[in-house]
Amino acid sequence: MKDRLSRFGYMLGRNIKVYFKDRLTFVFSLMTPLTLVVLFLLFLRGVYEDSLVNSLPEGFELSKKVINAFTGSWLFSSIMTTSCITIAFCSNMRVDDKLKKTLRGFEIAPISKFSLSLSYTISNFITTLLICTIVLVISMIYLAIVGWYLTFVDVLIIVVDMLLTVIMGSLIISIVGVFINSQGALSGICTLVSSMYGFLCGAYMPISSMGKGIQNFVGFIPGTYSTVIFRQAYMNGILDEIGKDVPAQAVDAIRKGFDCEYYFFDHKVAPWVMYVVVIVTIAVLLAIYLALNLRVKSKAADNKNVGSKI
Amino acid sequence: MKNIIEIKDLKKHFKEVKAVDGISFCVKEGELFAFLGLNGAGKSTTINIVCNLLEKDSGEVYIDGLSIDGNMQKIKPILGVVFQENSLDVKLSVYDNLKFRAGLYGLNGKDFKDRLNYLADRLQFADLLKRPFGKLSGGQQRRIDVARALIHSPKILILDEPTTGLDPNTRITVWEFLNELRSSMGLTVLLTTHYMEEASDADYVVIIDSGKIVASDTPNNLKNQYAYDFIKIYDFSQELKERFANDGVVFKEESGHLLIEVKEISKAKEILTTYAEYIDDFEVIKGKMDNVFLNVTGKQLKEEMK
Repeated sequence: MKDRLSRFGYMLGRNIKVYFKDRLTFVFSLMTPLTLVVLFLLFLRGVYEDSLVNSLPEGFELSKKVINAFTGSWLFSSIMTTSCITIAFCSNMRVDDKLKKTLRGFEIAPISKFSLSLSYTISNFITTLLICTIVLVISMIYLAIVGWYLTFVDVLIIVVDMLLTVIMGSLIISIVGVFINSQGALSGICTLVSSMYGFLCGAYMPISSMGKGIQNFVGFIPGTYSTVIFRQAYMNGILDEIGKDVPAQAVDAIRKGFDCEYYFFDHKVAPWVMYVVVIVTIAVLLAIYLALNLRVKSKAADNKNVGSKI
Repeated sequence: MKNIIEIKDLKKHFKEVKAVDGISFCVKEGELFAFLGLNGAGKSTTINIVCNLLEKDSGEVYIDGLSIDGNMQKIKPILGVVFQENSLDVKLSVYDNLKFRAGLYGLNGKDFKDRLNYLADRLQFADLLKRPFGKLSGGQQRRIDVARALIHSPKILILDEPTTGLDPNTRITVWEFLNELRSSMGLTVLLTTHYMEEASDADYVVIIDSGKIVASDTPNNLKNQYAYDFIKIYDFSQELKERFANDGVVFKEESGHLLIEVKEISKAKEILTTYAEYIDDFEVIKGKMDNVFLNVTGKQLKEEMK
C-alpha cells in the first residue's frame, strides 16, 4: 500500500510540476478569466450599471459603492463559474501526454492504469482549484475594496460551489479526453468550451435576458445550477443592502433579471435542488469515469493482477 | 542460457493489415537480439505487444517465464524500453525527469541518487542534470532517455530503433555502456532496427517482413546462407581475363579491379588457388547484412549506417 501511494505521489507530483513549468498552458488556462476582466473593464461594467439603474423604480438611487459592489459581485460570480470549467478543460495533461507520446513511458512503468488515470484527474483538479482559488482571493480583495457585503456563509457557499464545479470540470475532461486523439480535436474542444460555456451559463449576459427556448435549454446543462449558486452567494449580501433603500418588489426584479434565481419551464428552482443537481451530476460523471477506466483496465489484458501492485 | 523472452505464434491485425502474422521466436538471457526489418514490417507492433501497450489478437508471450496475460505488473519492473521518440518531459530538468521516473519504480532517496550518479557518469550527462530536457541536443536527449530506461536496473532492455538520428560519438558511448552492462549484469538487449550494421553486431538476428519472420540465425550464419562473398583482384592481366572467359568464371570489371561473386568462401579459395600464377594483389570481402536482407526479402535496407 505504501509503495502504491508513493508511486501515485510521484506521478501526481510530476503532473503538477509539468503543468506549472509549461507557462504557455498556464497562461492559456487564465485566458477565460482574463478575457472577462478585460470585457468588464471595457464595457460590461457600464452595461451592468445601466441595467441595474434602469431596474430601479422612479425616484430611487443607489450609492456608487453599492453599484460597484453589485457589478463586481456579478463579474466575479461569472468569472468563477467559467474558470472552474474552462481551466479544467484547457489544462488536461493526459491528452497532451498521449499526443506527445510521453504517456507510453508511464504505461510501461509498474503503476496500474487506474492509478495513472486517477493521477491525471486529481492533478487536473488540484491545478484548476489552485488557479480558481487565486481568482477567488482576487475577487474577495476587489469586493473588500469597492464594498464588502458578503457574510461568512456566503464565502463558504462560494468555496463549496467552487470545489463541486471544479470536480465536475475535471471529471468531464477526464472522460472526454479518453476519446481525443489529435491536437486539433484538443484545441477545438478547448476553444469551443471556453467560448460556449461563458454564454450558456450566462457569464456574458444574464440567462434571463435570453429567449425562452434558450432559458429552458440551459436548464439541461448542470453547469447552469452551479452558476446560479455562485450568483446567489456573491450577490445575496449586496441585494439585501439594496433592499434597505429600494422596495422589495424592485429587489425581486433585480434578483430575477440578474440570474440570482433560475426558472426551469417557469418553475422557480429551489437552492437545495440546485445542489442536488450538481451532486447527482458529479455522481453520474464519477460512475462513467470509473466504468471507462475499468473498461480500459480489462482491455489491457492484465486484469488478473493489476490491482496487486501499482 | 534460459529463454528470457518467448513468443509463440503471435498475431496482430489492424483491419485488413496483418501487422504481425504468426511469428515465433526466443531471446536468450544476456543476448543482444536484433529484430531487423523495414518500417512497417511489424517490429514496433511486436515490441508494443511485449510491453503491453497493444493487445495481441492471439498467440503467447512469456517474459522471464511469466505470461504477459495476467502478470504484467510483475513483468513491468524487469523491462526497460527506449522508444523511437524520446518520452521525457521537455520542460522539466534532467534531474526531475529521472527522479519522477525512478519514483514510479519505487526507487528514491539514496538509492536513486547512487543510481543516477552511476548512469550520469557512464553515459556522460553529469553536467546536464540541472538543464531542461527540451534544451538539450538530440544526442544528449537520447543518452538521457537511455538512462531513463535503465534507471530501475531492468533485466531486459528493449531498444526500438534507438539510434535514429544519433551522432557517431553518442552511438559509440551508448553501445559501449550497454555491452558493459551485458557482460557485468547479464542484461538482455532486444533491438529493433532497419540499420544492417547494428544487426550485424547482434548475437542473433530475426528478419521480419510484412509481419512474418523470413529468416533467423546468427549474423555469421545468415551471411553464409544468404550473402555472397566477393573477390577483388587488382593489377590483373589481359591473360587472366581470357582464362576466366574460357573457363566460364563470371566476373565484372570495375575501376581498377575485377570483381567475382562467390556463393561460398571455399569457392573463393578454389579460384585463388587455380589462378594463383596470374594473381598478385587481391582481397576477399565477406557478404554483409544488407546482402542478406536483400536476398531474403528482395528489398533494400537503409544505407545511412554504412
